[in-house]
Amino acid sequence: MAKQIYDVIVIGTGAGGGMAIKTLSEAGLKVCAINAGRRLDPEKDFRYHRMPWDMKYRGLDDPKRRAQSFGYMDNEYTKAAWDHEIPFTVAPGTKWMWPRCNAVGGKTNFWGRSSARFGEIDLRAASLDGYDVDWPVTYEEISPFYTRVEKMIGVASTVQNRPSNPDGSYLPPFKFRCLDFILEAGCNKVGVPYLPDRCAQLTQPHEGHPACHYCGECTTGCDVGAFFSTPYFLLPKAEATKNLDLRTNALAKNVLVDQSGQATGVAYIDRETKQEVEVYGRAVVVAAGCIESSRIMLNSKSRHWPNGIANSSGQVGRNLCDHLYGESARGYLPQLLGQPSFPDHVADSTIAWMPRWQNLKDPHEEKFIRGYSVYPDGGCTEFPWFANDLDGFGSSFKREIKRRYPSPVTFGIQAPSLRSDTNFMDLDPEVKDPYGIPVARMHFEWDENVLKMWEHSKQVCAEVLRAAGGVLEGSGEDPEIPGWSLHETGTCRMGNDPKRFVTNRFGQTHDVPNLYVCDASVFLNCTDKTTTISILAFSLRTSEYLIENFRRGEHKAA
Amino acid sequence: MAGQGIRRREVLRILGTAAAAAQFPGFSKWAFACGHVGNAALQIKPAIYHPQFFTAAEYAMVERLAEMIIPSDGTPGAKEAGVAEFIDFMVASDPEVQYGFRMGLAWLNAHAEQTDGKRFVELTPEQQTSLLEPLGFKDKARPGEETGRQFFRMMREYTVTGFYTSEIGYKALDNPALKFYAESPECPHHGDPEHAHVAQAHS
Repeated sequence: MAKQIYDVIVIGTGAGGGMAIKTLSEAGLKVCAINAGRRLDPEKDFRYHRMPWDMKYRGLDDPKRRAQSFGYMDNEYTKAAWDHEIPFTVAPGTKWMWPRCNAVGGKTNFWGRSSARFGEIDLRAASLDGYDVDWPVTYEEISPFYTRVEKMIGVASTVQNRPSNPDGSYLPPFKFRCLDFILEAGCNKVGVPYLPDRCAQLTQPHEGHPACHYCGECTTGCDVGAFFSTPYFLLPKAEATKNLDLRTNALAKNVLVDQSGQATGVAYIDRETKQEVEVYGRAVVVAAGCIESSRIMLNSKSRHWPNGIANSSGQVGRNLCDHLYGESARGYLPQLLGQPSFPDHVADSTIAWMPRWQNLKDPHEEKFIRGYSVYPDGGCTEFPWFANDLDGFGSSFKREIKRRYPSPVTFGIQAPSLRSDTNFMDLDPEVKDPYGIPVARMHFEWDENVLKMWEHSKQVCAEVLRAAGGVLEGSGEDPEIPGWSLHETGTCRMGNDPKRFVTNRFGQTHDVPNLYVCDASVFLNCTDKTTTISILAFSLRTSEYLIENFRRGEHKAA
Repeated sequence: MAGQGIRRREVLRILGTAAAAAQFPGFSKWAFACGHVGNAALQIKPAIYHPQFFTAAEYAMVERLAEMIIPSDGTPGAKEAGVAEFIDFMVASDPEVQYGFRMGLAWLNAHAEQTDGKRFVELTPEQQTSLLEPLGFKDKARPGEETGRQFFRMMREYTVTGFYTSEIGYKALDNPALKFYAESPECPHHGDPEHAHVAQAHS
């Protein structure tokens, strides 16, 4: 029997893989998608409007399991969806917190939904401030892809005319709450922006998807698909074409190559049978997420590619960037003390943001280069977290918790690390996963520039809170451990020079023309914006370039 | 992952650090037998709760401390919400904190006997309160009681967590998560973005 040869093998079904799968299969190409985890069943795996007391450990989960879990989103509500069987290691001195969802749809099942476009100020940052290199893509080129993605997924926001934030086409924004108006007034006094965030969450029905029903449980999985995730928005379209063969519990091991070093398919481990399986295709798209994609490529060693496939530049795994997260300020708004409780969190969303306001006119205006954004939040949350900071006990304590309940506010920073030679991932020479595959080893520390942003944000947010009439109570002592944000970028950077970059400006690897990368690993750095919408836009562009290469006969169709 | 509730993580951190295998005990007040799970067997309420971790004497102290931290003072408190059961279950599941609880309770008993000649639960409510005040109020703190303050802080964290993750605790705060909303809720105070009028009304 002749072996089946697909047109394209896509590794991964998150934002990048999902977009590739949809785009390629709609173009008539036969696609085999392999995904490391299983399909989720929203009915069973999502929180599905359960309350804490509906759960054995009140949603906190068994300490035994929590000791092995990574990160705040991995809890009793979502424990079936996160998957830590495949470990990673850290180099001495590195701390790395890294929750991973290997289920179909990946992290799009639970993402934060903030969806700002990159702008010219990001793509041309090197020309502006002299650090590192520009992206090989202009805003003018990528802008139409953002527009199409926004139409596909629905983004709620407003047109804001900010120099760092090109506008797109938006659904109506989430409405401002009391705390937003109060903080906005504070921001106005200080001279920093306070605006509706850009949120891929449906404030009205959109393209056949229902509007949000404000249950506030987004980050434990939406049961109706009212925010973008690949299982709700992209995979059904791909499956309707009958051109998709989706294989689950299929852990990609390495890319297969022929005698000339071209990709011929992918070897994966079937995690149920523990057997190694090979699938063949005329082109391969790696979209397993920044670190995992690089791990697969570094593990794809052959006579042609002794250092890993498409790695003649030595840059696979290098240039790792991440978003620094942290609590820049916390406190409360006396204006709201004792108010009736208000549904501040039922959209569970970043209703508002303080989009980058630093270094806009002059790239060297501040003590750091580039810029960061801040997400303010607060009001009535699910749990009165502030209670542990109050004094005393008894009736007065209980009353004070109730009185404070509508009033707390926090400011969370999202700041980009700078590319450096010392931040990267490689393969651990000793540790292997349960299937015998070498694991990723992280080497990472926050750089001086991003730590200056952190210090700066603490000052500005304290000033904003005071100007708003609020009471400042403190800030995070340190920023979060690297990895928290899940916004890794840069380990297969795109660029025109094959000696310095892994892929060309379309995400096609320089060394192996039928191998493409469709996730944030091709990004030059992480900017101050959340990565997902840009992964979607760049993956759409790469996928269409790949289709064009099939049309031109570069990769022969099956 | 912007907007994933930085503070939510703090809550999760409070209780989750170590390894233990725990049996699911028979809760009387907050078993996860919610209505839509529909498992009638789980809704059977045993008359007496048998602690998983604490001895009977320790458990009586935990019950009393939880009631003092969040009292039933006209509205339901820790007692009605079954907070002591929650604490027992979580401590039973987590060897990392077991020593701290056991030693803390022993410290408090020794302290009670030293001060008032009786074990903590045998003291009058007034005596109990005067023992706890230096542990729970910053401006009443006394030197030499660091162990007690540390324990009381942990006890208070567990009590707060147990109470405000219960249905009674949600109702006590009129937690908005108890209701559904047709649209994105908007600030109702039009014309006063700084909310000066609201502040005045409550000052």
